[in-house]
Amino acid sequence: MTTLNTSRRPRWVRSTLTGYAFLAPSLVLLGLFVFLPLGWAFVISLKQTNGFGDGAFVGLSNYGRLLTDPVFWRVTFNTVLFTSIVVPVSMALGLGLAMLMNSVLPVRALFRTIIVLPMVISGVATALIGVLVYDQNNGIANKLLRVIGLGSIPWQSSGPGAFASVVLVTLWWRIGFNMIIYLAALQGVSPELYESARIEGSNARQQLRYITWPMVGPSTFFLLIMNVIHSFQVFDVIFVLTQGGPGNSTSVLVTYAYTNGFLIRDQGYATAIGIFLLAITLVFTAIQWRVSRTRDLVE
Amino acid sequence: MQMSRRQVLGAVGAFSLGAVLTSCAGFVRPASTPATGELTFTTWGSDSELVGFRKAITGFESANPGAKITLNVVPYQQIYPTVDAQLQSNTAPDIFRVDYRNFGRYAGSKQLLNLEPLLDASVGASFTDALWRAVQFDGKPYGVPHHTDTTAILYNKAAFAAAGITSVPTTLETAWTWDEFEKVALTLQRKLPAGKYPFAYNWQGQGAARWLNWLFQADGRFLDKKLRSPAIDSEAGRAAIDFTKSFFTRKLVPANNSVKSSTYASDLFFSETVAMTFAGAFLIPDAAKLANFEWGATFSPQDKRGGGDLGGNALVATAGTTKKTLAAKFLTHMVGQKTMRDFCATSSLLPTRKDLVDKGIEFTVRPELSKVFVGQASTVRAADTAQVASPAMGAITTVLSDQLEQAFIGGQSTKDTLAGMTAGIKQALSR
Amino acid sequence: MSRGRHYGLRVAVAIASSLILAFPLYWMIVVAFSPRQELLTTELRLWPQHFTLANFDRIFASFPIPTWFGNSVAIAVVVTGLTVSVNLLAGYAFAHLRFRGSSVVFLVLLSTLMLPLQVIMVSEFQLITALGIYGTYWAVILPTAASAFGMFLARQFILGIPREIIEAARVDGAGSLRVFLQIVLPLCKPLIAVLTLLTLLSTWNDFAWPLIALKQNELFTLPIGLLYLQGQFGSDYGATMAFALLSVLPMVVLFVAFQRYFVQGFARSGIR
Repeated sequence: MTTLNTSRRPRWVRSTLTGYAFLAPSLVLLGLFVFLPLGWAFVISLKQTNGFGDGAFVGLSNYGRLLTDPVFWRVTFNTVLFTSIVVPVSMALGLGLAMLMNSVLPVRALFRTIIVLPMVISGVATALIGVLVYDQNNGIANKLLRVIGLGSIPWQSSGPGAFASVVLVTLWWRIGFNMIIYLAALQGVSPELYESARIEGSNARQQLRYITWPMVGPSTFFLLIMNVIHSFQVFDVIFVLTQGGPGNSTSVLVTYAYTNGFLIRDQGYATAIGIFLLAITLVFTAIQWRVSRTRDLVE
Repeated sequence: MQMSRRQVLGAVGAFSLGAVLTSCAGFVRPASTPATGELTFTTWGSDSELVGFRKAITGFESANPGAKITLNVVPYQQIYPTVDAQLQSNTAPDIFRVDYRNFGRYAGSKQLLNLEPLLDASVGASFTDALWRAVQFDGKPYGVPHHTDTTAILYNKAAFAAAGITSVPTTLETAWTWDEFEKVALTLQRKLPAGKYPFAYNWQGQGAARWLNWLFQADGRFLDKKLRSPAIDSEAGRAAIDFTKSFFTRKLVPANNSVKSSTYASDLFFSETVAMTFAGAFLIPDAAKLANFEWGATFSPQDKRGGGDLGGNALVATAGTTKKTLAAKFLTHMVGQKTMRDFCATSSLLPTRKDLVDKGIEFTVRPELSKVFVGQASTVRAADTAQVASPAMGAITTVLSDQLEQAFIGGQSTKDTLAGMTAGIKQALSR
Repeated sequence: MSRGRHYGLRVAVAIASSLILAFPLYWMIVVAFSPRQELLTTELRLWPQHFTLANFDRIFASFPIPTWFGNSVAIAVVVTGLTVSVNLLAGYAFAHLRFRGSSVVFLVLLSTLMLPLQVIMVSEFQLITALGIYGTYWAVILPTAASAFGMFLARQFILGIPREIIEAARVDGAGSLRVFLQIVLPLCKPLIAVLTLLTLLSTWNDFAWPLIALKQNELFTLPIGLLYLQGQFGSDYGATMAFALLSVLPMVVLFVAFQRYFVQGFARSGIR
């Protein structure tokens, strides 16, 4: 049965207007407070300026400088490496813990609460706890390791050690968020699906692959995007815990942008780094959008 | 019509919002009717420094009725981003505090008030040459040196006694030479138990420029006399890098004592992981509280000469201030003899006035150590501070930090380190 | 109810994970109640030798904690109210309304999440000065409320509402707004709960922007205090952890109390 279209405008115009009407508040807020400063930042990236006065317009030379700057490539590598470790691991652990919390356990609510609590702590406070834990002379981690006979790990003075400390702190912080999202998704999967699968003789791994995984598809899409965005932008943990050291082994894009913007005071270069970061995140998201078949799955 | 739950929630929300709104003045712009004699003063500070500031401000206000100074305290790490953002949008304070290393950048970008026509000639003459030079740009003063600090050695008496080290230098002339200092460190290394180290150096955080002390001690420069090009690739530069690199290769310092570490040298000292640390005078009150052992102080080592870092801060007025005379008056007050003496004594910092340096000041905590630090500060020369006052100093500090990190932890050769520093300094100067 | 397979193993894993995740929090509490000297010892101590409240005394003496607490509440409440309403509208639009350019606009708006604050901080600051809101709460509220996170979450959630319900309402002649208010919104209670909690959390913990945007010390929010404790020459860890504990407590209470909601939250027609 078709609805009577009494308006003179074609339907697509009406629905477009409606759509944008609902979007209007978002568009205004984001347009004014994000896109406007973003545009201005882009203009700054085309200049050479120390922030005072107008600076000199240099076109795309800041971006050209990025290409030949070995430190820039190092921090990009570090950022990508960090993301490619933290994102899959935190999602896998999140899903694993969610499946665990979805099963029968004693005092399940208590376990769930504890797992979620780390994400309530602010990033800076988390990093400060990390400093106390990972100080290689007097931190609690090495003290415990020494007591059980494994010896000290150079969490601060070796590249891999420092990188590991940053990864571990981030995982600790993010696992709860991943678990919660997955847990909620799992609770929407009806147990009959698993029952009938089991009756038909499939084992746990098959159930995971053919029932669980597709059913949490939209959550996976959401978490993947949000985790990647968050990992690309990691700053507080590194700034507080390692300051990008030792050497440049834990420097990432945002710490490099901060150093250039606020310590060396080359604001044009710093914003160029930021724009680059925006661009690669956008490309990643666009690819995921195209590729993901289960992102909008509706039963 | 029955109200839906959502409508009820909405009403409750609106009501509480209203309550919040009416009780919080933060939603409206503060009424801005500037008093004719009002100055805004942005600074950071430790608890004792803030007490000192407030006391000095009260003194100024009572001596100048009608004047009002509004103190705006920000966290240390945020002082420059905050001031920069304010300067770039014309909401800058009238007065702010800035360390000598960052002073040049603001002066060089014409953000500061030229004090030459506003200050009495006697004011400039009251400071030591080195400190007056530190606040000059292009031959004119753009601020006043409020206080200074420099690096000397704090040592653990028990650890020294256990290692058989019975005396430390008590006068500046008899300060350890580099060789003697190395011998002391090696003796400690032999006698200390495993997991403990002879000393730690305080180049963490923003302190990378404290490495320059070694360069100055070797009678080197990092900028040439015209302050236009790098001068670090020299005999002195080589000596300084070789010597400081050896701290790490010979394990005289803990492995996490490099420039980009989140562990401060002072913490290593208080936890007795090291037997001595390099530290500024400001650390004395903390040390008195936190050290569970007896400790003393002695002078930094010397090579061809004694050398120290230009620590401490200046007070400056912004170029855009509308109350130039009042600002100059306030700055003069802040560096008056009594004000400076009180501030330095309670905050454990060093004076910049000739008369106070000559007479000596006494710290409130461990007064007998004052003369070590005042004496050490006298090794800082005008030629040194002129380089530090360069507008490129902030960027140069980052260059030093990166290159030293490579040298200490990354095994970079001295030759490459000097080349890297030279190239980095050149680039910093060109901006 | 049967315990299911591998019950013992699952319990062991649950206990182990909880211990590992809880340990740093435990450590934070230990440090908050330990005197400063104890942090500097080289022996292993898992609980404070001398339980003390001195760290808390210090921070209450140094900072106007009740004032800052009130500021944080005021800002967080307004931001959350604004963000949740704006993003619910947008999420609904992207999930169920068909209009030209929907995908592209969604991606463009999503891209606003991909910009680190440090990059636009100076430009943002100049904007709020130009708008004349510098030094008021609005300088924090408006930029913070401009967040596409809620829009993304809302879209994924609302997609789960069966189309048939919406279509049925349309057929009855309801316009989009009516459908939104009377059909979709009541089904979104779990989403609203989750979005409210997450927005409250991130706004509550935000410090970098409020520090720059709020001029006067009296207007500062609670987390900024943590920055003050990172002194020029090292940190007072005892006071830092005490402060972190204080500022986190309200959020912990909220989360524990509403945790059930999270889980029920996405169920049935949630992010599946």
